[in-house]
Amino acid sequence: MILIMAWRNIWRNKSRSTIILSSVAIGLFAGVFMLALYKGMIDGRIRIVIEDEASHLQLHRPEFKKDYEAAYFIPDSGIARSISTIEGVRAIAPRNIAQGMVSTGTGSNGVEVRGVLADSERLVSGLDRKITAGHYFSSGKKNELLIGKRLFDKMKLQLGNKVVLTFTDKDNNVVSAAFRITGVFQSTSSAFEERVVYVGNRELAALLNTPGKFHELAVLLYKNEDLDKAEHLLQTRFPNLLIESWKEISPETELAISTTNQLSLIIIVIIMLALAFGIINTMLMAILERTRETGMMLALGMNKPRLFLLVLAETILLTLAGTPAGLVLSWGTIYFTSRHGINTASFAKDLMSSFGYSSVIYPRFPADQLISVLIIVAATAILSALFPAIKALRMRPVEALRR
Amino acid sequence: MNTVIDAHNISKIYNPKTIPVYAVNNVHLHLRRGEFTALVGPSGSGKTTLLNLIGGLDKPDEGRIEINGTDITQLSPNRLIDFRLHNIGFVFQAFNLVPVLTAEENVEFIMQLQGISHRQRQQRLDVLFRQIGLQDKRHARPAELSGGQQQRVAVARALASRPQFVLADEPTANLDSKSAANLLDIMATLNQEENMTFIFSTHDQRVIERARRVITLVDGRITSDTDAVDTSADHSTPVIPTAAEPAKSQT
Repeated sequence: MILIMAWRNIWRNKSRSTIILSSVAIGLFAGVFMLALYKGMIDGRIRIVIEDEASHLQLHRPEFKKDYEAAYFIPDSGIARSISTIEGVRAIAPRNIAQGMVSTGTGSNGVEVRGVLADSERLVSGLDRKITAGHYFSSGKKNELLIGKRLFDKMKLQLGNKVVLTFTDKDNNVVSAAFRITGVFQSTSSAFEERVVYVGNRELAALLNTPGKFHELAVLLYKNEDLDKAEHLLQTRFPNLLIESWKEISPETELAISTTNQLSLIIIVIIMLALAFGIINTMLMAILERTRETGMMLALGMNKPRLFLLVLAETILLTLAGTPAGLVLSWGTIYFTSRHGINTASFAKDLMSSFGYSSVIYPRFPADQLISVLIIVAATAILSALFPAIKALRMRPVEALRR
Repeated sequence: MNTVIDAHNISKIYNPKTIPVYAVNNVHLHLRRGEFTALVGPSGSGKTTLLNLIGGLDKPDEGRIEINGTDITQLSPNRLIDFRLHNIGFVFQAFNLVPVLTAEENVEFIMQLQGISHRQRQQRLDVLFRQIGLQDKRHARPAELSGGQQQRVAVARALASRPQFVLADEPTANLDSKSAANLLDIMATLNQEENMTFIFSTHDQRVIERARRVITLVDGRITSDTDAVDTSADHSTPVIPTAAEPAKSQT
């Protein structure tokens, strides 16, 4: 009967309850959508890290990562073949890497030069799909260079221009070579676009004096879920190499994932706290309007725990009644935006990409955090019920009946 | 007849620290099972305050009140709520039904609070609604009932818990003559057939005429206490007991 009373009490003032229900629904929608947005951002960031920057796993000589010296190449080329037999491995891209400088007659810029094999790079980083001007590496041609759009624009370059790459070889000799810009790639990370240039592996290895050797093996897996297993397996097989997952290569991304999850829940708590004041206000008004009725119930023998339960049930029902609407609204909006994406470039230009995040966000429904969200909503309801309930419990029937 | 209410020298004082006002002043009252008593007096004479004290809604500043041998002035607020639930029925002037519950639910609610089983509740509801003559209105909300019908439901609610007695504060004040007469008939029948004890505070001459005992209060003191077995009894010459001399019932 208490639940029936609580439910019917909500609808005694339809407009007031509708406003609160709508507030809960909108608040919940805002919270869940924000979670989805964060999830989409993080998904995009992980995709960038894996596809553009690090792949799932990378293998190096431990010394190489200290100073990026060309002398520290991976000794045995048979390693790549061995890795390809591991279950879950999709593709492997061997790379030579040199930290150097790109120069033109009018300027220069620090860059990471990646010497890649055209076919394997196509499979691991999909570099060919990112070419927006010019073309990908064509077979047989020498000294082709692919440059990021941002650096291309910054240095005011044109397709076909010659640039000079300067770096040190394995014997610490400074070497320079001219390359022709044959393609411009665009990445979702503008920082990456400004920092990395691609050349053919054979040319770079020759310049570094490391023919047939590689500094890096980038491993792409079919599923991110296989990451820990594959990493463990590689560590067992190649104990003398440094095996790093994208989480270790890009710790800021891993940190962003963990902090974003917590941060978004904190923001939901703040939204719900703001809502709680509206709910408290509504419930207080309801309790004060029903002073005589409450006095009557106390007079007739409704004890205080039951009265508390009545106010609590009413507040919880009022709050939870808005929850399905909020969830449905969130789900619908997330479903739509996850298919079409939200292009932040239209209002924030390259703000997102300059931080290494994709400009187009595809929100993802936070199914794994739904329980936490519902717990927050329920806690809000209980918290909101306390003050009105205490107010009701403090009533003396003889005074309440006089009202 | 057993004693239901035994109030010893009770007083209720408002503003005790500034200008004390005695709403009830040294009242001694003794009521037995099956009495049909009217508490009369002018406005401000202390009728409602006395009912509140007897009903355990308020505590006297002096004296003690025993209901069926239990001194309710010594009970904690929580125990008192429980005591009221099982021992006292209330009928209010403004009916005070829960508007979101149907007539039946309003009555059943009290039995639910008492923890009575569903089957027993249904049996009791059948009896009560037959007694108040509202079998066809069991599922109506209070707003769909007339004032008289609402007050009859309130009577059923007061009786639902099988109380020791029913306190009715101006039960006919908001009713037209026909509804008031009808309500009084129901209460008188319940009094006679079930020996239910009723105490009314009232200004209504129709209630006073139907009462079998009339207690008059003036300025918080009992000024007369008459037994009127014969409804045509002359009320113009009331017995006026002293505060120390308790009124006696002959019923």
